Amino acid sequence: MTDAAVDRLPPRPAPGRFTVLSGLGALVLTVLTARAVDFDPTGLVTDLTRPNSVVEGLLDPDWSQIWSRRSRRAFIETLQLAVLGTAGGSIVALPLALYATDYGAPNRVVQVVLRLINSVIRSLPDLLWALLFVSAVGIGALSGLLALFFFSIAVVSKLTADTLDGIDRGPIEAGVAAGASNTSMLRTAVLPQILPSYVSFVLYGFEINLRASAVIGLVGAGGIGERIQFFQGRGEWDKLWGLVLLFFLVVFLVERISIVLRRRLV
Amino acid sequence: MTTVDRGAVTRMPEPTREWWRPVTWAVVIALAAWSLWGLDARWERLLDAPADLWDLGRLLFSDMAFERTGDLLVDMWESIAIAWLGTIIAGIVALPLSFLAAENLAGRFTTLVVRQVLNLLRAIPEVILAIAFIPLLGLTPMAGVMAIGVGSIGTLGKLFAEVIEAIDDAPVEAVDAVGGSRLQRLRWGVVPQVLPEISSFLLYRFEINVRASAVLGVIGAGGIGGTIAQTLQFKQFEVAGLGLVIVVVATIGVDIVSGAIRRRILRGPSRG
Amino acid sequence: MIRFRDASVVYDGGVRALSNLDLEIGDGEFVVVVGLSGAGKSTLIRAVNGLVPLTSGHLEVNGREVPGLDRTGLRELRSEVGMVFQGFNLVDRTSVLNNVLMGRLHRVPTWRTLLGRYPADDVALAAAALDRVGILDKARVRANHLSGGQRQRVGIARALAQEPSIILADEPVASLDPPTSHVVMRYLKQISNELGITTVVNLHFLDLATAYADRIIGLRAGELVFDGPGEDCDAAVFESIYGRSLTADDTMDKQAAM
Repeated sequence: MTDAAVDRLPPRPAPGRFTVLSGLGALVLTVLTARAVDFDPTGLVTDLTRPNSVVEGLLDPDWSQIWSRRSRRAFIETLQLAVLGTAGGSIVALPLALYATDYGAPNRVVQVVLRLINSVIRSLPDLLWALLFVSAVGIGALSGLLALFFFSIAVVSKLTADTLDGIDRGPIEAGVAAGASNTSMLRTAVLPQILPSYVSFVLYGFEINLRASAVIGLVGAGGIGERIQFFQGRGEWDKLWGLVLLFFLVVFLVERISIVLRRRLV
Repeated sequence: MTTVDRGAVTRMPEPTREWWRPVTWAVVIALAAWSLWGLDARWERLLDAPADLWDLGRLLFSDMAFERTGDLLVDMWESIAIAWLGTIIAGIVALPLSFLAAENLAGRFTTLVVRQVLNLLRAIPEVILAIAFIPLLGLTPMAGVMAIGVGSIGTLGKLFAEVIEAIDDAPVEAVDAVGGSRLQRLRWGVVPQVLPEISSFLLYRFEINVRASAVLGVIGAGGIGGTIAQTLQFKQFEVAGLGLVIVVVATIGVDIVSGAIRRRILRGPSRG
Repeated sequence: MIRFRDASVVYDGGVRALSNLDLEIGDGEFVVVVGLSGAGKSTLIRAVNGLVPLTSGHLEVNGREVPGLDRTGLRELRSEVGMVFQGFNLVDRTSVLNNVLMGRLHRVPTWRTLLGRYPADDVALAAAALDRVGILDKARVRANHLSGGQRQRVGIARALAQEPSIILADEPVASLDPPTSHVVMRYLKQISNELGITTVVNLHFLDLATAYADRIIGLRAGELVFDGPGEDCDAAVFESIYGRSLTADDTMDKQAAM
């Protein structure tokens, strides 16, 4: 090898414009956002490592909450909210998704209106729904139920709509050719195709709702969130963590069961 | 027109009995009934709910306080900042964890343990994390950043690990064949293959986190959610309405920009 | 009675699928339409039940002027016209019986179809239709568990369950192997003869067409180039339809022998 070869090496290619711009953009965005939230790494470390009752409570949670009547009632209320919210929302989501498809819409106007409703419902997160309903119908379980109801519509109708786009169109043509009404066609040619997926989305919606139902109580919409807020207010972190961990144990178990069921369905 | 002999029906096989169908329906209906009767929702108010919602909608959107647009945009920017920094922090933690959670890189026992940790992190909602961080960091945006950051580690780690498991083994083998160390193997065998997918997942998570951080303010962890919650509470509906509109428009805007960048990343430069 | 008069179909891209067609098909006839793919066979069949609207001209089916029909009118027409598809168009995830019952949708109230509770008489009719094509014993089997030939027989049973006066079959054997194709064609022919159902079948294979057709219609680029009994349809006629001499691709038996 001679040292002349290195001179004949082609120059290193300049990185693409997109790579440079996006890398730079990400860097600038990080600096700007760090400023916006007063990001301070050393302060963060001292704040987080300082002895505090939050972490102490987490390391030594108070499990006695299982025996507290009020916590148990909140717990059950949370489950009931999730069940009803998911059931109601899923029932409404199915026609919303079906009649918004190209082949299922009775006419253009209905289709456009349904799509609009779907996207508005989908654009708001769970806690904001809860906040709005608490504001409209007052504090209590009804607001939570309505929030979870709308939230389920969003989740289930979105996933179902995606599945509806990918189905086999053959049976639809067969239904139309047999002179079926729109609804009959959807019921006999489309529904059997998507039913397993739909049921699996409903189960998934239930998982999400169960988790969301723990949170909506924080704004006064019923369920276990209200107890969490209660303990937070009193600084009883050991009890708070005991309750939260128990709840997520249940969520975890429900999720496992639901995942097994969903796998068998699809 | 009677064209065919209907007597054939007597020779048709009986439907097969599927025991699990009625059982499933019974369980579902029992659960729903139990919830319906057990829930103290004061159902009579349900009748008023549509009217109440209509009234609220009118209060929120009929006369929005456009003079407050500037303040609200600053709050929204804070929400976006929380989402971005949280995503970055989550990515920095999730990447090494995902190497440990990928079956083609780490041992069986390690992957099992790391995966369970990721699952656990995934199960806890950001709002609960925020509640825990607020006493430590105060009612500041940093509490939101940490809540979003810790809350995203689980999902990101799991997605990263799935991407890593789908890579082509040949380059990894090639690095092994030239006698590379484990770190070199990651740097040259794995990272170049997964970088586009991983950056695209980060952006996708950022989009989700913008929604999540808009909510965190409701419990005091910074961002526009706090303003919306407070103005709703004090019945300044004209401000809350505008805030909601800004949240929806901003999330859609972030989705569009970030989605375009994601598609460009995954498509690669060749057809730019 | 199906009567096309000066009928044309032009698709959005400017493709002329049917060009000034004049054609009359009498009650109870068994007609096979042949032609290259893209010659307008499929358009002709789909025009009959209004799945493809005419761009201009007239089409009369069972005394109805098809281009003038509104939604209700179209549904009524389609209820009298059974259709058999190339890809079978079955719902895989449900039973054979439920697939055949789709043929009753226009007669059964919508709320009954929503619940899946069909009247006994319609179930009896569906069973009879399945019996006709020799697969009554498969009634409770899920459609995706059947072989291709059996699936197409379900397709025929579904059309039959409509108690149609006309059956349209769009390349019904294109996805099947030769022996199965003959079975399906035999059933179509037998049903047409015994029940007096006007039947229009699109076929690609010429030997199959001559073997079963009472009357053959040749289409080329949307125009009628042959109309006559099956026995008149010799190599020269085929050349005029296909614009080239016969190849192995055009006959099922030769192709199967390859």
